[in-house]
Amino acid sequence: MSEKISRRDFLKLASVGAATTAVLTGCGPASRYVQREPYTKMPEYTYNGLSTYYATTCRECAAGCGLIVRTMQGRAIKVEGNPNHPVNLGKTCARGQVTLQGLYNPNRVRGPLKHKRGEALYNEKYEDVASNMKWEDAFQVVADALKSPAEVAFLMGTTSDHLFDFISDLATVTGVPAPIRFGAASMFETRATLSKAAEDLFGQATMPFFDIGNADLVLSFGANFLETWISPVAYNRAYAKMRRGNPKVRGYFVQFESRLSQTAAKADEWIPVPPGSEGQVALAIGRLVAEAKGVTIPGVFESVDVKGVASAIGANVETLENIAQHILAAANPIAVPGGAALGMSNGLSNAEAVLALNALFDNYGKPGGIFISPLSPNEDAYHRPASVQEMSDFIGQMKGGAIKTLFIHGVNPVFELPKSLGFEAALANVGTVISFATFPDETAVQADYVFPDHHGLESWGYQRATGSTLSVLSGAQPVVVPFYDTRSTVDVLIAAMGLTGGQASPFKDEVEFIQSKLANLISQADGSFTAPEINSFSAFFQQHGGWWKTTTDLASPSATDALGTSLEVSASEFAGQGEFFFVPFVSPTLGASGANIPWLQELGDPNTTVMWNTWVEINPHTAEELGIEDDDVVRIVSETGAVEASVYKYPGIRPDTIAMPFGQGHTAYGIYAQGRGVNPADVLGAHFNEAGDLAFAGIKVKVEKTGKKRELARMEGKLGVYGFIEEK
Amino acid sequence: MATELGMPAFTNQSQEEEPVGRWGMVIDQDLCTGCQACVAACSMENNVPIVGEDDASYGRYMHWIRIERLWENTEYPEVKMTQFQPMLCQQCHNAPCEPVCPVYASVHSMSEDLNLQVYNRCVGTRYCGNNCPYQVRSFNWLDYQDERIHPELVSLHNHANPDVTVRRRGVMEKCTFCIQRIHKAEDKAKSEGREVEDGEFTTACAQACPANAITFGRLDDPESGINKLAAANRSRAGHALEELRTLPRITYLAGGV
Amino acid sequence: MIRNLFEWLYQPIGRVAVLITALTLFSLAAYGIYTVQQPPEQPIQFPHNLHVKLGVQCLYCHPGALRGPSPGLPTLTKCWGCHQQIAKTDTSPKLAVLKDFVLNNKEIAWVPVAQVPDFVHFTHRPHIAAGLNCERCHGDMTQVEIARNPQVINMGWCLKCHRSRAANDPEKLTKLTDCGTCHY
Repeated sequence: MSEKISRRDFLKLASVGAATTAVLTGCGPASRYVQREPYTKMPEYTYNGLSTYYATTCRECAAGCGLIVRTMQGRAIKVEGNPNHPVNLGKTCARGQVTLQGLYNPNRVRGPLKHKRGEALYNEKYEDVASNMKWEDAFQVVADALKSPAEVAFLMGTTSDHLFDFISDLATVTGVPAPIRFGAASMFETRATLSKAAEDLFGQATMPFFDIGNADLVLSFGANFLETWISPVAYNRAYAKMRRGNPKVRGYFVQFESRLSQTAAKADEWIPVPPGSEGQVALAIGRLVAEAKGVTIPGVFESVDVKGVASAIGANVETLENIAQHILAAANPIAVPGGAALGMSNGLSNAEAVLALNALFDNYGKPGGIFISPLSPNEDAYHRPASVQEMSDFIGQMKGGAIKTLFIHGVNPVFELPKSLGFEAALANVGTVISFATFPDETAVQADYVFPDHHGLESWGYQRATGSTLSVLSGAQPVVVPFYDTRSTVDVLIAAMGLTGGQASPFKDEVEFIQSKLANLISQADGSFTAPEINSFSAFFQQHGGWWKTTTDLASPSATDALGTSLEVSASEFAGQGEFFFVPFVSPTLGASGANIPWLQELGDPNTTVMWNTWVEINPHTAEELGIEDDDVVRIVSETGAVEASVYKYPGIRPDTIAMPFGQGHTAYGIYAQGRGVNPADVLGAHFNEAGDLAFAGIKVKVEKTGKKRELARMEGKLGVYGFIEEK
Repeated sequence: MATELGMPAFTNQSQEEEPVGRWGMVIDQDLCTGCQACVAACSMENNVPIVGEDDASYGRYMHWIRIERLWENTEYPEVKMTQFQPMLCQQCHNAPCEPVCPVYASVHSMSEDLNLQVYNRCVGTRYCGNNCPYQVRSFNWLDYQDERIHPELVSLHNHANPDVTVRRRGVMEKCTFCIQRIHKAEDKAKSEGREVEDGEFTTACAQACPANAITFGRLDDPESGINKLAAANRSRAGHALEELRTLPRITYLAGGV
Repeated sequence: MIRNLFEWLYQPIGRVAVLITALTLFSLAAYGIYTVQQPPEQPIQFPHNLHVKLGVQCLYCHPGALRGPSPGLPTLTKCWGCHQQIAKTDTSPKLAVLKDFVLNNKEIAWVPVAQVPDFVHFTHRPHIAAGLNCERCHGDMTQVEIARNPQVINMGWCLKCHRSRAANDPEKLTKLTDCGTCHY
């Protein structure tokens, strides 16, 4: 407009324009397009317009926290913790909070599928494929497989304990082999190592419980207990109690780890030890404590060379001596082994060295010390998940053609196991693969049939809870009607058993089976509630969210000669020719399997604040030497594979170490997971520690520049930690 | 610093030294482990949209509460991260965001003594977000919740909380101290003819926190949980950006000491 | 350019064009507003007048009003509780529609009438507790079949009543005129 417009004219135009807009927006009966459909048959305890709350159990990990889920008009809208539940006492972790985004995820398996291996389960627009089978035919497929029970195998995840019990019973009754349980979380938690160390030292192959809450000094050797380790809510609560539970004494916390994890960031001291040296460090500290006390050096600490250890980790002897002083001043010290320290070729010795420290502290069975986790109320023995070595043996069985039908439930081995183990390749020698996956994950993509189980919030069941001082059986019930045409796997198996022509199941459905497993709790004393018979017991079980003993059942580890026997912690071996130690760690926000949940992707890592992607943590000096900057894409090369990821120059990591989060790198699993980041398991080789756990931190890698750049989405800002130019 | 650039230093003229108010929070940074359960809980309770990687990298993430950390020392091996700090709307007594809204969308609630965000009035000038020294206001730059643009949201919207408005583009949002829960608890108490008890309800973030780092309650009741907590930890207590004298109603207890 | 436009407008043809445009817009607007104020079509022509005259209380079908935000809509079982015992259900063509819904367990897609925008959180409980009858806002149901709004429900109308009922109580007035009481 070249001519000037006068004020009067402008006002005229503007007012006409405004009036027109105002009038036009009022037109149009948009409200007519709203409809409200009330219940056809409302549950009798529901008030119209008010929410109904159901108690159930979270199935995002094996911790078994109790939930109260708020539902409105048949939709689950908010998850809260069950305040009475001993594991979480009303609290939830991030994964529990967003489990609703799994229930209502845009990519779920919507019904039984006859599927061609390798074909995607949704199209390029991420629209799920429609169901192409009837459930009656699905039952028949399962029945046909069960007709030759010895040639069947069940591979399960670490949740859904009632399904595990059902299949275990099936194994004893028919000729089906006992089910194998596995999960990436338990792989990184090195449960086999913890269990074996407990067996060697305490005589019981079980899960130790670390009473951090009542300790006033915590020495963690690699255990990421504030992240996703074993029972995140319980250990976070215990940490808080350790810090501020005693108004007079604030607990002191030291973390020995090669990288500054989220757990290490909360420590008063972070000692950056090289991966694998944690056991030696523990022995050195033990020796220093014994020396400072002026007692005879116990046999287990005899052969350690303190000065040698100090120089090997690049620290002064004073650092270790100061820690020894802290120990002497503490009333309840505890040492906790875990994480990369155990995921090492010498992981078992590392674990035993750390547990021996606890023997020195004399804290077995005492508050703030080590206990044996109590068995759950209806548990016969601790069934630990399979170690990766055992999974490797299983893959050998698969390759040998012994398995005609492989049933997979609650685990995604094609993604979770290192590729070098060859699980996907071994599937070629398995006759039929039947997946019960709820989500279209990589393993379901390789299945011949997908008979989807309900989501955890749509399921009946029970879960044995870890991380509590009480013996807890956590109960689950559906909080909503199943959203899609899914069936409970137990119900599928029961129906199939009726079609095999052999022995049918004594139970008519899953609920009856679960009740049979609760039956002998009725007569047990010390319970959180009592009931005269199974139907009322069942009702209370659902209302309360489980049944637990009200008196603590923590067993004290038996006093074996942990101190007396000499312990040789050999140096760890590393596979590969590269110069950098490689430490993969479970993403503290995604967990092992949360990549398909949009809010977990957008939470951002607590330490790096990176969202939606994988990164490589590299020390800034190392980055400078290599000539790489933030967001440069580098290739991490191991002896078995290579992955590419963007660089994050991270202060909290040794210069000789790089780290990468595990959880991304999916090639299926839905719109929020697919095509993001990389999977560090792709570079891990089949190396195990003495207990059979994967030595996931036991490789050395090369870092190669690719010349590419891919920006990371950081909440802290694009400049990252080192992007600010300092004024000189 | 401000005077060097020729601007008047910011001083506010209020006479109060301590924040007064009705609802407040105490956040113990010694207990916060950075687990982000609070962020997840808040987002699920308040229908906070996700924006995807591209917009998130551009700083457009919509978090109403976020876990902040900075670095005290970045020279290995003396590396020290600051304590994890949950940062959310501080509900300032002297809120810089309140006086600047041209359409009175960011107003003060006289009955609940909170800093409100009235979505239907907001026209999206973003002046309030500009003024907030804590950067806790998030703006809906796009229609992040529109199912026509994001068809994958159709099933996800089933878990939307009916008590909280779903915001469209062009609207500012921020933490409301779970005002929907405040109203619900007060309504319930009123229906039973009594006052709301301390601890009867709490915000989504405080309810989820496994370490009990966040505590919410009445600021005007000396016997309330948060006042007792603050009193017992006087030596560690402080406010974020205290020197700006916004008088936030959230008290932080320093960690690491 | 603006001057050219205004020159054209001042000529007769321009003024006629403006008049026609204004009339068109006005009638569109009037039609739009009129349409919105008509009660919407419902899947069943539910006769409120009949039921109220028979003595059915509002809270019988809409019990949520006593307890919470939403009074709720009756479920099929509520309707069928009486109607399965009434002989007319089998003979009346109007009731055949209901029978079809019930016997096929189909949800009835009612169109809400007394709607407020989704950024308004209205809760019934305190209004019932304050002693207000349903007819005050929803009209005399003995006069209508399907529900309709007896007046426009907008913020001004709400505030009028809020202000008058809290005229003598400053604390109550503050609460009832606070933005955050309804908009959050």
